[in-house]
Amino acid sequence: MSFGIRFRFSRDATLKYIAHLDMLRLFERTLRRSGLPVAHSQGFNPRMKLVFGLPMAMGLTSGSEYADVELEREVAPDLFLQTMNRSLPQGMKILAAVPVATNENIMLRIGAARYWVLFRSERQISADEMQDLLQRLIDAESVPVMKKGKKGLHEVNVRPLVFSAAVAKVDGEWLLEAFLSAGANDNLRPDLFMEAWQHLVSRTFQIRAMHREELYASMDNEWVEPTDPRACGVPVS
Amino acid sequence: MKIELDDAMLLSVEKPARYTGNELNMVRKDPEAVQVRYAFCFPDTYEVGMSHLGMKILYHVLNLREDTYCERVFAPWTDMAEKMRAENIPLFSLETCTPLREFDLVGFTLQYEMSYTNILDMLDMGGIPVLSSERGDSDPFVMAGGPCAVNPEPLADFIDLFVIGEGEEVIGELVDAHVAWKKSGASREAYLESVCAIEGVYVPSFYAPSHQEDGTLLSIVPNRACAPASIRRRIVKDLDAVPFPENIIVPFTQTVHDRIMLELFRGCIRGCRFCQAGIIYRPVRERSVKNLTGIATRSICQTGYEEVSLMSLSTSDYSGLSELTDALLKVTDDQKVSLALPSLRVDNFSLNLMERVSKVRKSGLTFAPEAGSQRLRDVINKGVTDEDLIQSVCLAVAGGWSSVKLYFMLGLPTETMEDVEAIANLAFRVVDTCRGMADGSVFRGMKISLSAATFVPKPFTPFQWEPQDTMAQMQQKQQFLREKLRQISRRVELSWHDNETSFLEAVLARGDRRLGKVILDAWRGGCRFDSWREHFRYSVWMKAMADNGLDPAFYANRRRPVEEVLPWDHIDMGVTRAFLTSELEKATQAELTRNCANGCMGCGAASYGAGICPKTPR
Ligand code: SF4
Repeated sequence: MSFGIRFRFSRDATLKYIAHLDMLRLFERTLRRSGLPVAHSQGFNPRMKLVFGLPMAMGLTSGSEYADVELEREVAPDLFLQTMNRSLPQGMKILAAVPVATNENIMLRIGAARYWVLFRSERQISADEMQDLLQRLIDAESVPVMKKGKKGLHEVNVRPLVFSAAVAKVDGEWLLEAFLSAGANDNLRPDLFMEAWQHLVSRTFQIRAMHREELYASMDNEWVEPTDPRACGVPVS
Repeated sequence: MKIELDDAMLLSVEKPARYTGNELNMVRKDPEAVQVRYAFCFPDTYEVGMSHLGMKILYHVLNLREDTYCERVFAPWTDMAEKMRAENIPLFSLETCTPLREFDLVGFTLQYEMSYTNILDMLDMGGIPVLSSERGDSDPFVMAGGPCAVNPEPLADFIDLFVIGEGEEVIGELVDAHVAWKKSGASREAYLESVCAIEGVYVPSFYAPSHQEDGTLLSIVPNRACAPASIRRRIVKDLDAVPFPENIIVPFTQTVHDRIMLELFRGCIRGCRFCQAGIIYRPVRERSVKNLTGIATRSICQTGYEEVSLMSLSTSDYSGLSELTDALLKVTDDQKVSLALPSLRVDNFSLNLMERVSKVRKSGLTFAPEAGSQRLRDVINKGVTDEDLIQSVCLAVAGGWSSVKLYFMLGLPTETMEDVEAIANLAFRVVDTCRGMADGSVFRGMKISLSAATFVPKPFTPFQWEPQDTMAQMQQKQQFLREKLRQISRRVELSWHDNETSFLEAVLARGDRRLGKVILDAWRGGCRFDSWREHFRYSVWMKAMADNGLDPAFYANRRRPVEEVLPWDHIDMGVTRAFLTSELEKATQAELTRNCANGCMGCGAASYGAGICPKTPR
């Protein structure tokens, strides 16, 4: 019987330029170093049974990346976490590990993400003025922006993909907290959000750092963390 | 000083992970707590440089020392270099983001001639004067080693000291001397004087070349007492006695060779007459099976790599190959790691072995007859026959391999159009064999490709006196080969080397010190990444040659009399000139020379008293 574990990990600024495919390889190598009994697919070219949640855009730090891994036998999630943390490269850390009992692809459940964006404004702006600028986006019916897709540039309306947003002044810079639609289909990246916003209000902001704080799965009309027992298919006792 | 790169810059360039370091197993030290800071520079991109075993070895050896911190520096790709220049950001190390000029020792590895302009560019970006003569007390010492250093002269103006031969041991001596020199507070020159007599070290500014009217060399002699008249190549006598890196850096972004590389041995027993590597790493010295198995096992545990690859000039010649592969397969099977076996001769043993190791689909097998006719293969001392090749192809097809790649060289000494035609004929026999062996549908799916490289005469080979074919001759041969192949079979995919690149490579490989001005002008004219086709600017190079009154044909296309003083004559490779001339003589007679395993030919390398020489019959 194989045994599934879902884990959440973070990465700091030194590792924010690792592309998604490279991340996959990084974890395969980490798992091999760790000596944990990872299950492999059958066939000529056995691959580790490892599936990642929503890929991260390049240039972001995060506290919320997720993956499911299948082990050949039961390993206590805590032991899994400790063992992996000894093997991971500096700058990356597993924050939580829980048993997962569903075969459903973790990606399909992801519906929203919470981001922080640290930015500067080219012009001096008061706190009230900044609130107004954000309010204009929230009140707008449509916020169009050009998005690069597989078939080239096309216009999208990002307004329905913004669930909520707030802005505050921190140490002379601005900190935006945005709760945005995320997932395989209606994904809104924070840099595209910033672009759409700047375009709407005709201002120029300079992004200093972006961070993905949390991902959410939709369960019974509720946003829950992907490690929530309900999202993991584990009976709630 | 620590360089900080902003996000906007990194997000605007290709593959930013090239520039951010922090990979697994990167060595972290406090730069303040060491005595010597060493920057290991690879004059090409991160992906190319991180694939290089020599760098991993020296990085490891230097960082084993508590008093030294070795960091890595690569050539930023043109998009990044442009941005760094625009924002006045100096070239920096990946470990601590320190500008190159703040290091004590800056070492370049010379893997191919076409990387020379990148060295100048990296020095300049790093804030170090490109000319040795313009460096002052606050500048680092710039050193260089690697295969191209066997003829150091073209780079003599830029490099303070060269390491000729293998670096593992001599590098420590250079660091020791630096520690002592720093304490002494003596002049910059005093350091160079203190190291110039170390075996394997060449300080070019201590030697003065003089030329004759016709441009050939009269002599290269030391201009001060401390410098030895001849510089002997350094080797490591016992590979099992020197450290080999196990906890190698695991890059985040994919590199060219992204795997564990297990170096089985140095040198090659075979003595093909065009092959520089076959001479400059003599004699053959092997690592033991036990040592290699231990290295592989620990390296898998410390890196998590999914592949181990055996490295050598000719894997089939490793004396304990079957014992080694048995031992390695136990480890790799257990860890679900794959074992790669490049440069194996195709025979029953190797196919069997590949059958056992390759769980992946059978892709390509390569064969390197190098020349098409038996006569020419005898000239180059490549001891294989048509029948050997056909038999190997039969075995491969029967074993289910679906693609065959043939390597040949065009422009070898004594080559005629008949020899070129023989390449096409041999290729046809290969196609025919495949057709006969495989059933129709399999044959249609097979891929047969032929690469025809251009011969570049290299220093310290028996062909070092030989002219390279002119570009016009080469074109004629390439067209002829293409025509012949077309007439015979449309199944063969032909590729060849860029003639302008091969020509310039021939100029630089056997160049003298006067080429320093050409390299400098070419770099000033915008040349860099010359080994990347999209960046190679042949006309700028030719203009630089002309501006300095030099004729490239003098270097590339001229037959040099064996009495002529060669720019590398003051370098003692351990292989005698008498051996090279006798090999040249035998080549013209198409006479074969046996290999070291069958009996010593007295090449001179026995003077090192190491490896195969004392063991083989005289
Ligand atoms: S001295 Fe003899 S055995 Fe040693 S490398 Fe030369 S030819 Fe081979």
